[in-house]
Amino acid sequence: MAKQYDVLFRLLLLGDSGVGKTCLLCRFTDNEFHPSHISTIGVDFKMKTLEIDGIKVRTQIWDTAGQERYQTITKQYYRRAQGIFLVYDITSERSFQHIMKWASDIDEYAPDRVQKVLVGNKSDEQEKRQVATEQGNKLAKAYGMDFFETSACTNHNITESFTRLAELVLQANKKDLEALRVSINDKLSLADLEEEERVCGSHDDVQKACWC
Amino acid sequence: CQCHRIININIFLTKYCKHAVQCLLLDNVMESRLLGLVEHIKEHALFLFTHRRMAITGNDVTLQEIIPISYDFSSFVCPCTILGADTRVRLTFFNEKMECKLPFGSQTRLFLSEVNRAWCGKKAPKFDWLTKYQKNSKGLGSVPPIATSVGKITKTGNGQGTVKGEGRNELVRSSRHTVSNKAQMLTMPQFGLRDNLIKCELLKNEEAYTYIQNFNFFLGTYNVNGQTPRESLRPWLSATPQPPDFYCVGFQELDLSKEAFFFNDTPKEQEWMKAVSEGLHPDAKYALVKLVRLVGIMLLFYVKKEHAKHISEVEAEAVGTGIMGRMGNKGAVAVRFQFHNSDLCVVNSHLAAHIEEYERRNQDYKDICSRMLFRQQDPTLPPLTILKHSIVLWLGDLNYRISELDVDYVKDLILKKDFETLHNYDQLKRQMDEETVFVGFMEGEIDFQPTYKYDTGSDYWDTSEKCRVPAWCDRILWRGKNIVQQYYQSHMTLRTSDHKPVSSLLEIGIKVVNEEAYKKTFEDIVRSLDKLENECIPSVSVSQSEFHFKDVKFMQHRSETLKLHNDGQVPCQFEFIQKLDEPAYCKPWLTANPAKGFLAQASIDIDLEVFVNRSTAPELNSGQQQLEDILVLHLERGKDYFISITGSYLPSCFGSSIHTLCQMREPIQEMPLEMIHRLVTSKRSQALDIPKEIWMMVDHLYRNASKQEDLFQQPGLRSEFEVIRDCLDTGTLDSLPGSNHSVAESLLLFLDALPDPVVPFSVYQECLDCSSNIGQCKKIISLLPQCHKNVFNYLTAFLRELLKNSAYNRLDVNILATIFSALLVRPSTKQDQMEKRKTREFFQHFLIQDSH
Repeated sequence: MAKQYDVLFRLLLLGDSGVGKTCLLCRFTDNEFHPSHISTIGVDFKMKTLEIDGIKVRTQIWDTAGQERYQTITKQYYRRAQGIFLVYDITSERSFQHIMKWASDIDEYAPDRVQKVLVGNKSDEQEKRQVATEQGNKLAKAYGMDFFETSACTNHNITESFTRLAELVLQANKKDLEALRVSINDKLSLADLEEEERVCGSHDDVQKACWC
Repeated sequence: CQCHRIININIFLTKYCKHAVQCLLLDNVMESRLLGLVEHIKEHALFLFTHRRMAITGNDVTLQEIIPISYDFSSFVCPCTILGADTRVRLTFFNEKMECKLPFGSQTRLFLSEVNRAWCGKKAPKFDWLTKYQKNSKGLGSVPPIATSVGKITKTGNGQGTVKGEGRNELVRSSRHTVSNKAQMLTMPQFGLRDNLIKCELLKNEEAYTYIQNFNFFLGTYNVNGQTPRESLRPWLSATPQPPDFYCVGFQELDLSKEAFFFNDTPKEQEWMKAVSEGLHPDAKYALVKLVRLVGIMLLFYVKKEHAKHISEVEAEAVGTGIMGRMGNKGAVAVRFQFHNSDLCVVNSHLAAHIEEYERRNQDYKDICSRMLFRQQDPTLPPLTILKHSIVLWLGDLNYRISELDVDYVKDLILKKDFETLHNYDQLKRQMDEETVFVGFMEGEIDFQPTYKYDTGSDYWDTSEKCRVPAWCDRILWRGKNIVQQYYQSHMTLRTSDHKPVSSLLEIGIKVVNEEAYKKTFEDIVRSLDKLENECIPSVSVSQSEFHFKDVKFMQHRSETLKLHNDGQVPCQFEFIQKLDEPAYCKPWLTANPAKGFLAQASIDIDLEVFVNRSTAPELNSGQQQLEDILVLHLERGKDYFISITGSYLPSCFGSSIHTLCQMREPIQEMPLEMIHRLVTSKRSQALDIPKEIWMMVDHLYRNASKQEDLFQQPGLRSEFEVIRDCLDTGTLDSLPGSNHSVAESLLLFLDALPDPVVPFSVYQECLDCSSNIGQCKKIISLLPQCHKNVFNYLTAFLRELLKNSAYNRLDVNILATIFSALLVRPSTKQDQMEKRKTREFFQHFLIQDSH
């Protein structure tokens, strides 16, 4: 029987309060949906195992508080992420406008190699739509991100968007992972490698020296 | 062991020959060679010897070639189609190529890993030491000139693909090194645990994703009495119209020579293997998965080509139970493997001989069962025993005889084909009935005459002197579910040996995996484990995530309770953690008590305490800071919770500057906040000479407490301080309430809370420097900002007034200088004893000056 787990990734959900980050996570990990909105006050996470290209990828998905007053604190979680979902609510123009701000925070605080996917949630609420699909597409293109319109309520595009981000992270780290997989051919955690990397020094050259 | 054969070639060689294996050279014809890995001063070479059959002494082997392990050397392990098959290795040295076949097993594995290690450790090659051997070498080999270029390097690990190229290879190898270190560091116990959980769950749910499919296993056993094959084995091996899926063919007494016994090497192995290969059913193609032999006991395991890919984890082992309980003239060989999802073990044993030795045979069986240990793929798991397998097929010359009957009666029963009566006297049947041996094993009904002992080359019973009683020595047993015997027979037409071969065809139900169902089961398990894991993430519920402290006053102790309730499934450790770029987990006016702890099951109360003291008051008074903070409550390996703390602070004269207070005619709390904030920074001329609050306290003391005993030494009451503070801040009362001591203490607290003391920080050092010089000291005071100078003069005048009543209040210069210098002349940082003395000296000048 094949080995079960190969890598561990940290993914982060970002976006304004009320866009449905917690619901996306809940739908993805537990296949559940609770329509009432309870603000996340803090940082929560859940585990989910995915299979990508025959590799078992364990994802640790972090759900952050979206409220503005917590933003200075949530920023300190960015640097631990390999992938980030930028989430807005298609029924809220304002949440869409704020994506720019979220994106610039990511540039400032997240690692350089971090992978991003833009998500317009609540695609089921067509009658309240304020942000056209085309607008989302355009913004995603401008940032060079993939784009999904999702609905945690109807389970539309949920697995697709999470899997896509995990794929992107896997691709971005493939070289390093392969070098490691050849030799230990079982478990390793990218997250832990990065911890170690910091010990080695954050310089690119140093990284290479101790990875390959 | 083979290494010993090289003993007499040269002492040097025995000393430095690290490993040796016997191999088959795949040239035009297959020829056996000995291959030795020789080390000398950290250089390695492979020595290839030709040898006579049964090489014993150095005369029997001849050095054919030497292959230095240098940059020009490479070895390539060919990917094998079937795990457990012989390993083919291609050796290259310059343009010479050689291909050989090494027997599967741990010895070959070890040998190859040593060669690989030698190659990895190669240095600038010299190989001077080899020249003396080259003379002896008859073959092609002569050491070519020293190679310096990096040659081609080809290497695969266990046939999982090839990595070619120079730099790349270096990279891979060096990464291997660092990574294995890394792997150790990465050891994450929860990962391993998870893997094991999945394995367990998969095993538990096996029925959900497997179905039973029948396969035909041919089992054959033949004691060949040291003979060479002289007739076709087809009648034995291919008696069925349909080709079986598997062949498990066991031989005993393959070679009775001493050489075979002592050196476990025999030409008969090849001869009989060939005979079997030629005797297999002609309507199918078979692959030899495994040949395992211990002296004369040999087991061949063939599989129909199309099933080969479903075979895995093939391991072979041998156990000797002969002389001294160890030697290989008796004992067993066995092969274990996984076929689809079933695990099988095939044993061929030759148990102790002689009619009376049945207990010895029972013992041999038990020894074989306990000592036959198969290595598992996961080296952390204990080795597998025979009986751990769900299906065990056991064949061989078990040597159990027919007892209690005389030879003529036995032969008579055989003639009458009364095998049932005869079987009742069979030792194996009796021992199995008594459950002393082969417990749990089955044997089919015996409907053939005993297979031992015949005159070789005939069907006649033993006519020798011993005239042995015929017996069913050669048997086939099985253990496990879903096994149906199709036939069980002997083969009278084969006459090579004094035994007749026996065969049986078993239809065995094998657990075959339905890939789709397996995937689903696997995913279900992963999902439920994810769920379990998510449920086991530490979690608490907090009673409130926002706290508001309204109207907080200076030095007022306020507290609210945060209740944590463990609503997760595991105990957890909590801690308030520091935010990025902040020195502590919370602002200085806030504390959480406890700030970390362990929450087993129930709840815990955390006190959130707000207390504004003299160090935090100034910035809150001036509006530079608000009562605002967010605490991050972190659960180890779990979530983080944000707790917001907000509050409103009522500005106070305590902690406000002299400068600001001198601009306020009204009580501080009657002024709008913005006005206070503006006054802090304004340079406006002062409305008052000294802060009215100081005047109120000092005037009160002057009028009521001049003769008060122990003034400034007896502490006041906390509750009275609070009323005095409120009175000063709100102006609600015309005269100050409380005892003299409380007013006196309030004055001290007021002076202590001044953001810049009466003698400002900026002149502190100067004061120290001239503390002994009265004139200088006075000059410093005269140059202070007006309001500070006023306050200083006002206070010293008051203190001098108090000293006039020292008969009543028992104050003296020393006491007052000590108390007040610490409040009026203080540094912004810590103060040492020397500095304290100097500030007291400084201040004393102002107390004694007019008093005489």
